Amino acid sequence: MGNVLVWLVWFVAAAACLGTGMAVVTMTNPFFSALALIGNLASLAVLFLLLSAEFLAAAQVLVYAGAVMVMFLFVVAYLGGRADAPWAGGHPLVRGAAVVAAAALLTEIVVVLGLAWGDNLTDPAEISDSFGDPAQIGQAFLTDHLLAFEITSIVLLVAAVGGVVLGTTPEKEEETA
Amino acid sequence: MDGPDVGWYLIVAAILFGIGALGVMLRRSPLIVLLSLEIMLNAANLTLVAFARQQGNLDGQIFALAVMAVAAAEVAIGLGLIVAMARRRVPLDVDQASALRG
Amino acid sequence: MIAGAWVCLLSPLAGAVAITLAGGRISRSTAAWISVLTTFVAFAGALVAFFGLWAADPADREQVSTAYTWLASGDFEVQLQILLDTLSSTLMLIVSGVGGLIVWYSMGYMKGDEQERRYFAYMSLFVFSMLMLVEAGNFLLMLVGWGLVGLASYLLIGFWHHKPEAVAAAKKAFVMNAIGDATFALALVLLIWATGTVEFGDVFDQVDSLSSTTVNLVALGLLGGALAKSAQIPLHTWLPDAMEGPTPVSALIHAATMVTAGVYLLVRASPIFEAAPDVQHLAAILGAITLLVAGVIALVQWDIKRVIAYSTMSQIGYMFLGAGVGAYGYAIFHLMTHAFFKALLFMTAGLVIHHLEGEQDIRKMGGLKSVMPRTHVAFAVGGLALMGIPIFSGFWSKDGIVSAAFSSGDALGYTLAAAGLVGALLTGLYTTRLYFAVWRGAQSDLVKEHAHEGHGEGPRSMTIPVGVLTVLATIGGLVVIPGVWEPFLHWIDETAEPLVQATVAEDYALSAVAVLLALLGFFLARHAFEKGRQFVTNPGIWRVLERKLYFDEAYDALFYRPAAALSVALRRNVEEPVVERSLDEIGSGAIQVGGEVGRVQSGLLRTYAIAVAFAVSVLIIVFVAVR
Repeated sequence: MGNVLVWLVWFVAAAACLGTGMAVVTMTNPFFSALALIGNLASLAVLFLLLSAEFLAAAQVLVYAGAVMVMFLFVVAYLGGRADAPWAGGHPLVRGAAVVAAAALLTEIVVVLGLAWGDNLTDPAEISDSFGDPAQIGQAFLTDHLLAFEITSIVLLVAAVGGVVLGTTPEKEEETA
Repeated sequence: MDGPDVGWYLIVAAILFGIGALGVMLRRSPLIVLLSLEIMLNAANLTLVAFARQQGNLDGQIFALAVMAVAAAEVAIGLGLIVAMARRRVPLDVDQASALRG
Repeated sequence: MIAGAWVCLLSPLAGAVAITLAGGRISRSTAAWISVLTTFVAFAGALVAFFGLWAADPADREQVSTAYTWLASGDFEVQLQILLDTLSSTLMLIVSGVGGLIVWYSMGYMKGDEQERRYFAYMSLFVFSMLMLVEAGNFLLMLVGWGLVGLASYLLIGFWHHKPEAVAAAKKAFVMNAIGDATFALALVLLIWATGTVEFGDVFDQVDSLSSTTVNLVALGLLGGALAKSAQIPLHTWLPDAMEGPTPVSALIHAATMVTAGVYLLVRASPIFEAAPDVQHLAAILGAITLLVAGVIALVQWDIKRVIAYSTMSQIGYMFLGAGVGAYGYAIFHLMTHAFFKALLFMTAGLVIHHLEGEQDIRKMGGLKSVMPRTHVAFAVGGLALMGIPIFSGFWSKDGIVSAAFSSGDALGYTLAAAGLVGALLTGLYTTRLYFAVWRGAQSDLVKEHAHEGHGEGPRSMTIPVGVLTVLATIGGLVVIPGVWEPFLHWIDETAEPLVQATVAEDYALSAVAVLLALLGFFLARHAFEKGRQFVTNPGIWRVLERKLYFDEAYDALFYRPAAALSVALRRNVEEPVVERSLDEIGSGAIQVGGEVGRVQSGLLRTYAIAVAFAVSVLIIVFVAVR
């Protein structure tokens, strides 16, 4: 019984994920694309929950869907109509090549997965109930992966500074333009 | 095991990755390209978490968190770039922004 | 006494260096005095060396003095060494003595020339180089001196470099000498390879153990060098042209010393030549041919210096003949007497040219006897010595060679002797012709113009050396009176033993014949002059002789034209398209390739992304396959 439920949830989440993904890529109006992405992020959070990554799911919703997408929507609102570029365009050869490349990548990944499925992907390891707990993640970050933690924080700092720089300079130039 | 094998999650991630790649390579608006890029990053995150589950090792989730942080930073900068482009009246079309032509 | 030899060698070098370094800071006459004095210091050194050697025990008369090891390569070593023996001391005296007189003479001759300092620097350089050639203790140093005299000759022939003929003549001399230098060097290479040394003594000791081919090739190479330096056929065409240089240069380099270097080489390397008798005979034959050809050509020349130049060529032919049959003592003896009377002839010719303000054509001269009486006497003495009239110096030396050739016996010897006798006749003819044309007969207009200039026949710096040489040309031959007193020959014999020895009877008999032939030539020429005729009336023969038997034209067609055409063709077909344009094309090609490659950088994000995607897909396949 629980099994069926899990499969069902999984199926819905996966379908939503893929569907909204397609929507992001195909919609012309960037606002709708952004909204579709929010849906995508939400379904991904569900998938994370299924994989015992509770903290990650929460972080996904909070950070990605909450902060990043809001940023996106702000920009879309600011740009307004100017963000509307035609769906696709450019040299037909380029478009063809793009499709081919994406298809090639996809096929390859699937093939590789198929090759590896038999032995490696059937039995997941036994995990404790606190797998994916914030406590456990915090401990890992501050002991085993301290360096990654620190570097990530530096990256964020740099990005913040860069954002400010990108944001302020044009003001002077617009006056002289 | 209750629920699908880890492999199914990987397939979803793969398809998501392909969709995102298609978006990056086909769309001309930089905003949409950035969104597609986010999809690709998320697909990678899904893969990482799935393997973390498979191995019983938390490292995958740690990595995914780091990816999330970096992606957020990157989006911030990317959006800043787009806004700057818009302010300078540069057409928001990836095919026309070829100033780095060699 | 060896110190004297070092002083002799280094003094002119010091002079040349001093003049060069002082540049314009010294006056022209100071430069001239430096050159003259250093040359006479060299002569003093040579005297010290000579007397030291003379006083020494005969067993001791070969001294080698080494300064330091110049080259060393594994086992092979070359020392910076000088050799003082009877042969080299004699040559040292001749070079520094006659050289000193000529440099002194040129003080007066070149006075007033703007480039006097350069001239005297070159003259000192030449004297040093010639002394190095003569004093060298091994073949390699001799080659160094050999090359340096060639350089000095080039510099001095082309001294008046604003005259295109002088420049061309200098180039010609240098190129032909270079051919000789090349064969000399090749012979040296062979020698080093075969014997492992270049020292005279060591090489001569090993000569017998060498294969006949090796010795013949070495001798041939040395002979080639000697032929070029001494202007013998076939490498003779440069000497007449070299008369473009100042007259003292012609006297010193092209009469008394440099052109005799070939003879010196033949005598010095006599052990090698004796081991290669065919080559030695070849030297004699070429000497005989040159003797005759040069004598005949001298009969039709109008330039006073060129007549004397051909006479030089002819007399050196005698020396080659002598060295070729093995009469080394007589060859060197003739070298010495020839230095005296030929320098004398050139110097008197120089006085004439100087007096007539540059005129050298004998058709414009005549009757100078009353205008320049003392010069006339000097010239007459030189001419008599040249013709071999007793008791003048040429008589004793030239006839010795003829009799030596005769006494070597076989058909070759008799032919060579006959050639020598015919040469005596020719010498009489052309010398008398020259004498009468310049000094006798009615005064030409040009002479009359300059007849009233009562400033004497020349400054003392020019007349005193001429006087000294006149005396030497008269009595210089008396060091060899066959059968009575032969100190000179004995002296040279200590270094180079002669192969043939004529009997006293043969000697005097042939001498008598030669003198008679010379006198015959004298009378024939005088008769022709009084009749106002030349010897060769046939215009065809005249033209052939005037063009010097077309040697120049033949060399031009055989060597110069093909070489010039080849180099033009190579330039047009190889150098320009391949080398020059290829460099341009490499440049433009690189730019083009860069442009093509640059097109990949379209600047378009999409293209880059697609490229990355493709690359990744390829890489995935690679990774999977490898694993």
